[in-house]
Amino acid sequence: MTDRSGIFVTGLGTVTAAGVGREALAAQLATGRALVTEVDRSEGYHGAGFPRLAALVPTPDFPRWIPPLEARRMSAPSRFAVVAALGALEDAGRARGEGPDPAMAVSLGTAFGPSAWTQRLLDQILVEGPPAASPVLFTESVANAPAGRVALACRATGPNHTFSQGEASPLLAVARAADELAHGTATRALAGATDEMTPLLHAILHRFGALARTTPGGVEEARPFGAGRDGFLAAEGAAVVVLERAEAVAGRGARPRARLRAWATAFDPTASRVGWGGGSEALAATLSGELGRAGVALDSIDLVISGASGSRAGDRLEAEVLSRLWPAASRPSVVTPKAITGEHGGGFLAAAVLLATGAEATFPAFPLDPDLDVTPVAGAWPGGARRTLVTALASGGGAAWLVLDRVDG
Amino acid sequence: MSSRPALVVTGWGAVSACGWGASPLGRALGAGETAIAPFTRFDHAGYETHVAGQAPDPPAGLEPLRRRRWSWAERFALAAAHEALQEARLPAGLGAARAGVFFGSSTGGMFEAEELYRAWRGRCLDRAPLRPLAAHRVSVPADAVARSLGVTGPVETVSSACASGALAIGLAARALADERVDVALAGGADSLCRITFGGFNALRSVAAEPCRPFRVDRSGLSLGEGAAVLVLEREETARARGAPVLGRLLGTGASGDAHHMTAPHPEGRGATLAVERALAQAGLEPSRVDFINAHGTGTELNDLAEYRALRSVFGERVGTIPLTSTKGSIGHLLGSAGAIEAVATLLAVRDQRLQPTAGDGEVDPDAPVRLVRAAAPAAIRVALSMSLGFGGCNAAVLLGRAEGG
Repeated sequence: MTDRSGIFVTGLGTVTAAGVGREALAAQLATGRALVTEVDRSEGYHGAGFPRLAALVPTPDFPRWIPPLEARRMSAPSRFAVVAALGALEDAGRARGEGPDPAMAVSLGTAFGPSAWTQRLLDQILVEGPPAASPVLFTESVANAPAGRVALACRATGPNHTFSQGEASPLLAVARAADELAHGTATRALAGATDEMTPLLHAILHRFGALARTTPGGVEEARPFGAGRDGFLAAEGAAVVVLERAEAVAGRGARPRARLRAWATAFDPTASRVGWGGGSEALAATLSGELGRAGVALDSIDLVISGASGSRAGDRLEAEVLSRLWPAASRPSVVTPKAITGEHGGGFLAAAVLLATGAEATFPAFPLDPDLDVTPVAGAWPGGARRTLVTALASGGGAAWLVLDRVDG
Repeated sequence: MSSRPALVVTGWGAVSACGWGASPLGRALGAGETAIAPFTRFDHAGYETHVAGQAPDPPAGLEPLRRRRWSWAERFALAAAHEALQEARLPAGLGAARAGVFFGSSTGGMFEAEELYRAWRGRCLDRAPLRPLAAHRVSVPADAVARSLGVTGPVETVSSACASGALAIGLAARALADERVDVALAGGADSLCRITFGGFNALRSVAAEPCRPFRVDRSGLSLGEGAAVLVLEREETARARGAPVLGRLLGTGASGDAHHMTAPHPEGRGATLAVERALAQAGLEPSRVDFINAHGTGTELNDLAEYRALRSVFGERVGTIPLTSTKGSIGHLLGSAGAIEAVATLLAVRDQRLQPTAGDGEVDPDAPVRLVRAAAPAAIRVALSMSLGFGGCNAAVLLGRAEGG
């Protein structure tokens, strides 16, 4: 029997440009400032007019969590994911078990997989010749290497999935983990996302016109729903949530942070391979249908944590979907954390969980696109939402949504 | 155990080294032939191994798929999907249907991205061609299928190495059981590429000759490429529209080893768990399984661990259940292996005929499976297909006759 009720978020672990842990990200949200670093241009992929900045994880080493010798055999996305997973378990008050845990599932999303090690392996094959190819690099080049590492670190022997659906990957992974709990194939899950932003990826994203470029003020910034927006801020990192069934939460006296009330996925076939389409009608219909099946009324939602990132076409589609769901006058507040966290890695998922559970934030202010009929929050956001819709529309057509209910006490 | 509606297979399609279509696949498997041979997809002069299961060029009648606008993986996926839909007597536009696409892939359009990287390595990308760049994402085959069919329901790509295709079948089954979709296209697509060929060679896992799973002197795997798609529906809705019922999806199971990043658990514990979960979901005892399509890569560690897992599940009976590995015929299709092996298994179930494992040699006495060596009629009510992947991902799929029972 499928039981979609009673699935709770009990822990959150993060690795972002703000550092390790939810407190670091919460502090960044409060300031509302993107934390950016110059991307290494020494490989030659960037031209003179290419964007220079990305939200990069400040240090690749996490000795508190991963012994250095072990870390050397792990790609950056694997390290990010393991640290986030262990941090999530700690946040949930769950000790890492001694033996295999067949009731724990792992479900991670990744847009690009371990790109740096894949690139290094390809360099070995193409430049040094096939005999130079490193088996260690190959092992870590597969998209599910991080999920495998998380399973090893957390001794999780439940179902193990890695999803790759662009910007929708994090929410998709959480949705499918929720399904494992709903269907009883797991009683707890580690769900989230991990990605790294390499110089090559950064340059590729710019080649697609995806990245925010320098404003007249000389700043590269993502301006979700903004007038003159021209792309997103690339980011890397990981976020993992612990999901548990109600009986497990009660059984160990844990404090749930939020209830995962509903989840949905869909696709826009009008999208190009790496762009966004115009299929807002079908997307909105799918979402409202799934919310209806879950017993979630649109007017019960009091906050939308939008996946709008500053993409011209992506934000337009997001605005159109929101407009179909709610007329402007009755629409809940809309916040756009990707202006702070950037796109990719787990920053958006982590920010969404924090905001849905009451975190305060400051959102940057900028002129808005008058054609979009969306006015996101600018300035201080005091928190306090009870029911939150989190959205993610991916380039290429994927879409995923979550509904989170705050749990008090 | 979650109760769920009966799920049926109403169509299938495949592309492999045997050719474009499920028919050439079935014919070659039935004859125990191997299509693993010296390949031409890319230059492999620097390697010690030179064979793989490369798909031939698209045949006459599939001219649109000869255009290089798509990656090989996308072309395989599109062909398999359209064949499956035709078999299922569904229109080529599924926009009005509540349909979803659930795919497994390890590398997506990586081959095309590698070609681009060769040309642009270390150069400013301001004029790099966009099309091959766009192909690099692992989700491109599923997305291409969804785009071509106008699908607006869930479209999800799982990239869990060699278990991906079988896991995708599990995701599709769940979406049907939850009534999120009425029609699910479950499958996978992968093409040969340097990363995987080079990587497996670096692991010294590749056989110099076509692989010979479960043989005592097996020497590694053979890589392959292609795609497969199953059309899955709830039996009730399939019957209501008069769909052909070609087989049944009885159950799926998944697990993680949490043992090692590349080597399976030596006792096959994770694989055992996946099979047990599939049996539990199907409500079946192990004694009901009549045929096994093994993961059977032909590596020393995999075949041994897989045997031990099967012995854990089936006990002494494991030596009496006919077992075959499709990989001796078409190679290891990585992210789409689970999907094409599900199609192969369904062909055996439909025809009530065992498919031999290609290649000669004595069975490993440490893994004494009942390896099928010659095609023969058999009563196959329930068949098991296994997929074990890097990172310790395991998946099991149970398939049954259209008539049930």
